[in-house]
Amino acid sequence: MELEALAGCLSSMSCAVTQVSTGLIIGMLLFLVASGLSLIFGVLGVINFAHGSFYMIGAYFAFSAYQLTDSFTLAILSGALGVGIFGMAFERLFMSKVYGRDVLMQLLVCYAFILILDDMVKILYGAEYKLMGMPQTFALPPFQIAGGFIPSYYVFMIGISAVVGLVLWLGIAKTRFGKVVRAAAINPTMVGALGINTTLLYAFVFGVGSMLAGTAGALAAPIRTLTPGMGLSILIESFIVTVIGGMGSIVGAFIAALLIGLTRSFGSMGFPLFVDGMMFGIMALVLILKPSGLLGRPVH
Amino acid sequence: MATTKGGVPRRKFLKGAASAAAVGAFATTITGFPHIAGAQAKVIRVGMPTILSGRVAILGTSSRAAAQLAVKEFNESGGVNGRMIELVDRDSKGRPDEAAKVTRDLINNDGCEIIIDAEASSGSFAVQEVIRDLPVLCLHTCSETSSLTADPKIHVKTAFRSARQGIHDAVAGGKYASAISKSKGLKRWMTCSPDYAYGRDNTAEFLEYLKIFDPNVEVVDQVWPKLFQPDYTENITKILQVKPQAMYSALWGGDLVAFIEQSNLYSLFNNITFFSGGLGDPPVLTAIKNLPAGLNTVYRYNRFYPNKPGNQAFAEGYNGIAKQEPTNWSWQNRLACSFIFEALKRTNGKTEGTALASELKGMALDSPFAVEDKITMRDSDHTIIGYPAAWGVTSSKFPYVENFTAPAWSEIIQLESEWKKRKGYA
Amino acid sequence: MLGRSSLRDLAWAALLLVGLLVLPILVPHPAMRDFVIYVIAYGLLAMSLNLLVGFTGLVSFGHAAYFASGAYIFGLLMQSGNVSLPVAMLAAVGGTALLALVIGAICVRLKEIYFAFLTLAFQMFIHSIILTWVSLTGGDQGLMGGIPRPTFLGIDLNDSMTLYSFCAVVFVACLVIMRQIVQSPFGYTLRMIRDNPHRANFLGVNVVRMKLAIFVISGTMASVGGIVMALFVSGAYPEFGFWTTSGEAIFMIMLGGTQLFIGPLVGAILLQTLNHYVTIYTEHHGLVLGIVILIFVLGLRRGLADFVYLWFQDRRTRKLEKETGR
Repeated sequence: MELEALAGCLSSMSCAVTQVSTGLIIGMLLFLVASGLSLIFGVLGVINFAHGSFYMIGAYFAFSAYQLTDSFTLAILSGALGVGIFGMAFERLFMSKVYGRDVLMQLLVCYAFILILDDMVKILYGAEYKLMGMPQTFALPPFQIAGGFIPSYYVFMIGISAVVGLVLWLGIAKTRFGKVVRAAAINPTMVGALGINTTLLYAFVFGVGSMLAGTAGALAAPIRTLTPGMGLSILIESFIVTVIGGMGSIVGAFIAALLIGLTRSFGSMGFPLFVDGMMFGIMALVLILKPSGLLGRPVH
Repeated sequence: MATTKGGVPRRKFLKGAASAAAVGAFATTITGFPHIAGAQAKVIRVGMPTILSGRVAILGTSSRAAAQLAVKEFNESGGVNGRMIELVDRDSKGRPDEAAKVTRDLINNDGCEIIIDAEASSGSFAVQEVIRDLPVLCLHTCSETSSLTADPKIHVKTAFRSARQGIHDAVAGGKYASAISKSKGLKRWMTCSPDYAYGRDNTAEFLEYLKIFDPNVEVVDQVWPKLFQPDYTENITKILQVKPQAMYSALWGGDLVAFIEQSNLYSLFNNITFFSGGLGDPPVLTAIKNLPAGLNTVYRYNRFYPNKPGNQAFAEGYNGIAKQEPTNWSWQNRLACSFIFEALKRTNGKTEGTALASELKGMALDSPFAVEDKITMRDSDHTIIGYPAAWGVTSSKFPYVENFTAPAWSEIIQLESEWKKRKGYA
Repeated sequence: MLGRSSLRDLAWAALLLVGLLVLPILVPHPAMRDFVIYVIAYGLLAMSLNLLVGFTGLVSFGHAAYFASGAYIFGLLMQSGNVSLPVAMLAAVGGTALLALVIGAICVRLKEIYFAFLTLAFQMFIHSIILTWVSLTGGDQGLMGGIPRPTFLGIDLNDSMTLYSFCAVVFVACLVIMRQIVQSPFGYTLRMIRDNPHRANFLGVNVVRMKLAIFVISGTMASVGGIVMALFVSGAYPEFGFWTTSGEAIFMIMLGGTQLFIGPLVGAILLQTLNHYVTIYTEHHGLVLGIVILIFVLGLRRGLADFVYLWFQDRRTRKLEKETGR
């Protein structure tokens, strides 16, 4: 324990700024992935365990697009849309076949795709480490705020994540379409009876959820190493976030992602070796005290 | 008793078998037809348990490519005693229990008579136990953990290591870093290494020798990211808070690529002298898009060091099949193959574990990777000496590391033997 | 009070044991023994998990924790050199039972998916303890330097044939125990809980206590699998307790089938065979395995044993219909 270091950091403005920004950097990307996972569960009632692999192929799509076009914007777009379309196809062709069946069957379909996608990436891109490279636009020295440092790319990344999150939340909470989605989450039969094509709705929601993972992957491509299997750790972390925040709750995912991000950044000052145990500890505690998570609604 | 077989003393029996084999070989040269005489005429199968999938698949692919190249050359030059070698690789998926199972399978099921163990450390310890059970010749080619060969409790008679060893790198690193710390007055040090056995041991050993060579060094803080952690921002900002003058990191592979690139965003290396235990590997150097010049790194592989024609020929040949520069694991596996070929020549193709092991003990090879005269498989603890335990500096032009300096091996060995005494290994 | 069905089960068990012991004589290849030991270890893991999944309807994502705890407790005790092999085995089983009791007491109160999550969280917690407590467990390198197998009661497990026979006996003993549990009134109570927990509650069954009991039993059986594994590879590794090992156990159950007692064992044999041959012929085993999973889940839509069983039942009913119908 180095709690004095933690206290020292909290009392210093520059340290606090840097560490809070660190929490945001880790948290916001995690939020993107986890909100997709949570959205899919909330509406479709399935857990997409292949979500981490979607994040991975988002990064590889962006990598390829960047190599071909040299445009960062196109790289992000192809990561997001590519995975969105892939997600819809995955839902229609595979996931929809196991709705209403054992949760283990859903788990297995996803497990199959984790294995297949990892191998596909290895076959197409090779086993070596890949990095997309930082676009020239962001080749600036880090911003200084109150003595703390924040790199310009991270400001952009946090901004994009916040905008995407906000659009998602507004879309679900404030639009007519969002109402339909929320209704479908609670009573799909009724929504179907009202003449709304739930099949299409499900595919679309799954696509949006996947797109969130793909966007996160594309945003991570310039700064994180691309390898087969890179989706594994993000899957576990986003899963923890989703459980803590409450399966199906976007706001819950946001709060939990920031909680995890800040735990990581300040934890690395105060109790560096226990950060991981801490995350599982929080998850277990939430499950024991309020199984449906901070903001989730209980499943019957 | 086991020493006699049907009344014939075992030694005499073996001699008889050997001369029968010689007759067989003779018949082959006369008639031009291979003389099928039991085991002696078959191909020699060499098994290679390694990691071919997941995040460290490059360990396996670059090990295998080097070994395949070596075996091809060996067979083209006629093999040994008319016998060719066949390499059989198997993916352990990075799981130690799977490594153990796959190795047993290679020996028991596929008839492999020699094992090249290209597993990461934890897998190597599992393979070591298999070899204790099934004593064929085994060369560990990727594990750098010192205790694998240094600890007499773990020692196995037919198991060897053809790979760099942590303690050697630590001595070389401590000496190299202390020269810089003394001249630049670097007193405040920090470390950032992956939180697992190799990362912790490697870092502790480096610091130990750094302090021996430069007692003024003070370690002000240490951060331990997880192995395979995708994001290092929390560690990087912590380093920014502590503001050390110098830093050592045992990060390697994809983790190191991400760490350097993310550190660049914070301009971390502007004010910190960086010493790396993994940066010198060519795939790491080429994956990093913005490689800062002037970072210090241990030698992992470089086609111009040692600057010998054989080394460049190896890099060219390897590039021909793998379309990239060799890795640290590549040269270690190439070297292991050389040791195996030479031992087979000396036993005249006999593959019995103890026979090969007794040839390998103390064997000195004229290798393109030798920094002094030869690379020697040390008799006492079955590990290699004389390989490049060197340090260099990153530069912007291919092959991205230059100015290698290395301490004399006599000095490394001297300090190593003191370390062994302290550890109770010798 | 052995009923007729119990006697029949015992006869089957004896037959299986004889078969297992004769097998290495018929196929005198050491690789065959290795293969069977592997099937035994993972078969026990899968079959014990099926006590929860198939018979009680409790989907656990964290079953490998008990496999690992068996392997580690056993390995550590043997390495300490203070206890004999059978004592270490019993202690490992007992220790795991205690662990499962503590974790189970917290988990079984939760419903369905939350139960699954919490078991997963505990497993990851245990996995990170194994990784962090380096001085005891060796961290990521596992228990190094081998696990000694000193002779006990004249049995020397360093001989590979003896080791094999020992594992076979332990395996069949565990099968008999599990079978007895499944066929007992307790076993039928579990099925009732699976099919309708409210009804079971109305009938005066203490559902939580029943669930906890089977949770502990299934954990201890998994620990025996871990012990067999540790004995065989002469080590214990954190991967034993990682979620991928739990995932593999679930895969074996689904591959074999959940409805028959023997289903998971069929799954274990299938997966080990598949693994064995796929890794020999290709390094893209992920691709092959993934496609096989999809074929099972989307094509057969159930495990192999269940599939075959249903097919036979179907045929029998059709035959009966034919005979009686016209």
